[in-house]
Formats: sequence, C-alpha cells, structure tokens
Amino acid sequence: MLENLFVGTADWLRSLLGGIGFLPTEIAESIVLLVKLVAVLVFILVNALWLVYMERKVAAFMQARIGPNRVGPWGLLQTTCDIGKLISKEIIIPKKADKVVFLLAPVLIFLPPLMVFAVLPLGKNMAALDLNIGVFYLLAIASLSTLFFFMGGWASNSKYSLLGAMRTVAQMVSYELPLVLSLLGVIMIVGSLNLSDIIAAQEHTWLIFTQPIAFLIFFIAAVAETNRCPFDLVEGESEIINGPYTEYGGMGFAMFFLAEYANIMVVCAMATIMFLGGWHAPFGLTFIPSWVWFFIKMYVLIFIVMQFRWTYPRIRIDQLMGFGWKVLVPLSLANIFVTGIGMYIYRAIGW
Amino acid sequence: MFGKGLVKGLQITWKEFWAPKLTVQYPEKQHTVPERFHGKFVLDVDKCIACGLCANACPNRVISLNKQKVGKKQYLTDYQMNIQYCLFCGLCVESCNKDALHFTKDFNMNQYFYKNIPLVLVRREAPAEPLEEPAMGGEDQPKPKLKPQAPKEEKVAKPAAPAAESEAAAGKEGQ
Ligand code: SF4
Ligand code: SF4
Repeated sequence: MLENLFVGTADWLRSLLGGIGFLPTEIAESIVLLVKLVAVLVFILVNALWLVYMERKVAAFMQARIGPNRVGPWGLLQTTCDIGKLISKEIIIPKKADKVVFLLAPVLIFLPPLMVFAVLPLGKNMAALDLNIGVFYLLAIASLSTLFFFMGGWASNSKYSLLGAMRTVAQMVSYELPLVLSLLGVIMIVGSLNLSDIIAAQEHTWLIFTQPIAFLIFFIAAVAETNRCPFDLVEGESEIINGPYTEYGGMGFAMFFLAEYANIMVVCAMATIMFLGGWHAPFGLTFIPSWVWFFIKMYVLIFIVMQFRWTYPRIRIDQLMGFGWKVLVPLSLANIFVTGIGMYIYRAIGW
Repeated sequence: MFGKGLVKGLQITWKEFWAPKLTVQYPEKQHTVPERFHGKFVLDVDKCIACGLCANACPNRVISLNKQKVGKKQYLTDYQMNIQYCLFCGLCVESCNKDALHFTKDFNMNQYFYKNIPLVLVRREAPAEPLEEPAMGGEDQPKPKLKPQAPKEEKVAKPAAPAAESEAAAGKEGQ
C-alpha cells in the first residue's frame, strides 16, 4: 500500500484524465508530467527548508547547545519564519550592478536541482522521467549551477562577489573532474548510463563495497561541488564576506541559501543511487517502502556532510586546488585502471 | 596513517552530538545567581540617614538624592539612581556606613521606554512635623524650612512604611 503510494497516485491521475475522454493521450500524459514536476519542486523546497533547520540543530547539538526551539514545536517553524522575514525585506540592487543578470541569477539557481530531481528515481518506478542517459544528464545539469553562481558574482559588480565567483568556477570546474571520473568505475561495472539500471545492478551488493575508493572520491568531490565546509572557500566569510551572495539581500539571498541545500540534496541523492543501492532495502527489510529507504540513505549522507562542516576547518585555496588535482584526479584515474583490470580478471575466470 | 586526524575529528563531533546539552533556557529556567551578585539596588529607608556618602562614592554620579530637614534630622525625600550609567562596582554599597543600601539578585532592569530606566528607590514628601521622638530635641522645635503643608495623613504615614514596600513601589514604577 505505502510502497505504491506515489506511483499509485500518478496512475490514478492518469486514469482520471483518461476517463475524461476527450483529452488526447499526449496532453493527459504531459499534464501528469507537469504534476510530477510540481511535486518535485515542492519536495525540494520543503526539504531545503527542513535542511536549514536540521543544519542549525546539528550544529547546535555538536556544540552542546540545543539550537532553534522557540518558533513552533521544537523550533520547527524557524526557517519558515526566517523566509517570511527575508521575503518582507527590500530587494537592494547595487547601482552599478548588471540588473538583469543580477536578478536572474537567484531565480535560475533553483533550476539545476529541479532538473536533476526530475530524473532521479526516488523509489521503485518513481522517477518523474526515466532517461536512458541519466548519469550523463545528471552530471551535465549539476555542473550548471556554477554558471548561476558566476552570474550572481559577476553582476554584483563588487570585488568580493567577483572573487567568490571566480573561486566558485575554479573550485567547481576542478572538482567536476574527479566527480565524473569516480563515477566512471560505477558505469564500467554496470555497463549502463541509465539510473534505474544502476540501481537494479545493486540489488545484491551495493557498489560502495566494490568501489569504496570511488565512493570516497565522489563524496569528497561532491562536498566540494556544493561549496560546503571544509571546501567553502566560495563564501569564506572571514575572507570575502559572503562570496557571490555578498550584494544580495532578502529573497535573493534566501534563494541562494536554499539552493545550497537543494544542491546538497542532489549530490547526496546521486551518491545514494550510485553507491548505496538507491531504493533497495538492505537486509531484506522490504516491508519498509522503497522511497523511505531512499530517503533514509540520502539523509544519512546529508548528516555526514553537515558533520563535516562542524568538524573541519576551512582549507586554503591552494590546498584545495592541490588536493583536487594532485590527489583526487590521479586517484580516480588509478581507480578506473584497477577497476578495468579487475573486470578483465573476473571475466577471464568466468565469474 | 594519513587521515587518522580526520576520523578522530568526526568521532569527537559524533560523541558531542549525543552529549547532554548545556543550554539553560533562560526565561523558563535560570542559572542560580551567586550570593554576592551585583544586581538591582534596594534601599532600607528606615536605616538611611540621607548622609549622601553613597552619592559621593559613586564614580559615575549615578545616585542623586534630595533631603529636607525635618526637626533636627535630615529626611530623605528622593533617592534616584540613573542605573543606565551604573557600572555595578559596589562602591556605593560599601560606602554606606548605615548598611542601608544593598544589592539584590534581580538583574532584569530592562525597560521599554528610556524614561523608565532610572531606578527610583525613594520618592516621598517630607512630613511637616517630626513624627517620632519629639522629646529628643529638648529645646523648642525649629520650624522645618519647607513651606508648611497641611498634614496629609497618608503622606505622613508613608515614611514609616517598611522599606520593602517602597522598594516594591519603586519596582512597580520601574516596570
Ligand atoms: S555600583 Fe558603583 S556606579 Fe553603581 S551606583 Fe554604586 S557606586 Fe555608582
Ligand atoms: S544609603 Fe547609606 S550612604 Fe547613602 S545616604 Fe543613605 S545612609 Fe548615607
């Protein structure tokens, strides 16, 4: 029953639209798709709100505090309240800013997470769209957010914003490489770019056990991709105020802020799919619905990302670049090499 | 081994995550205030002889007091502390040789309006005639210098009121 909650809802909607009769199938199908996409958008926004709250709670708990606890039960409405505050603030546009780009950046910043989540299988048969080049699409879209960060930083016409934006580009471009290369091992083993195939291949063994190095590299690169501590040089408060968001106030800032969490969700969901078996239940605990499993795994990873932030200090920009190019890239290349050899050996002994 | 420190750091934060929290939720719960805390002032009006030592001792000129002569005694009519300038050094309390001025543990002296900040410890009118111990003077009573007032009973009764009451009144005014 619960297992098919969402799939069932989609089917019900489809049959409802079909029952009306005069609608052509294509239109009915696209309406269903639209509903799915809106659902994904709502899902992302609600989760981003929750993640801001969770981040603050985690931070507080790791510092012997209790965190937000005044607004609503256990402070659950704190983020909603903050967003309300941010919405009510004036949108300040710097005089010399490039107005169109300046305003466009925070609007577009939500696009990549939304587009990525549209293809992620959040449970059994629960991808809004099932692409057969899913991984390729994911990587292509996920790296798009660099552009929007850069747009924001450039259009602000402020030295801090520009510095932050340059750092974003440098960091994201150089960590994109190990991110992609580490996934290559997975793709070699599975032999498909389709996300559903990758998940199906992990029914018995999660790929984290066959590709532990790749998982580590992927996770580190993913943390760097999302500009999270210890790689949060982009918004290193002590150095460049707030990086690309320096000139943004009110809702513009809130959008960037929420997009950061949406991006964390994206990378953690990707890691779940690629390495942690997606929606497969471990130990045969299949009575818990698949989408709940997906959720649990994703949130465990998110928690770890948050724990990183409250454990490690920020590293320097040269260390960041050095680590990316001198450690992660060679390591991921070596991983591909070893995976290739291993696959040949397995095939030779006829596994 | 490389990365040992990283794992150790994660272990520490993980342990800390489950450790008991130190936050005391202020308005509902409070830390116990130490015995010798320097908080809001109270004045024991009966003990105070309006000598003005406290006002003189204050480095910030926080205390302003007014007195009138009633009979042979100085009668304290007004004792006000501009508490916003007070640095709670305690020199005033120390200087009082009648042990009339004290600290309490109440540290919440917030006010919504600026004009309510000064702490009024005494505000009363002097009685026209000395009340107690009229025989002490021996000779004939010197007229009090203030303009003679029709002796209002409640006003006269006030000086005799216990310090606690005037303190409460001051507190109420302060709220
Ligand atoms: S505590 Fe110090 S500053 Fe405050 S009234 Fe007394 S003498 Fe003045
Ligand atoms: S409080 Fe003490 S020092 Fe101050 S006027 Fe009264 S008796 Fe004198």
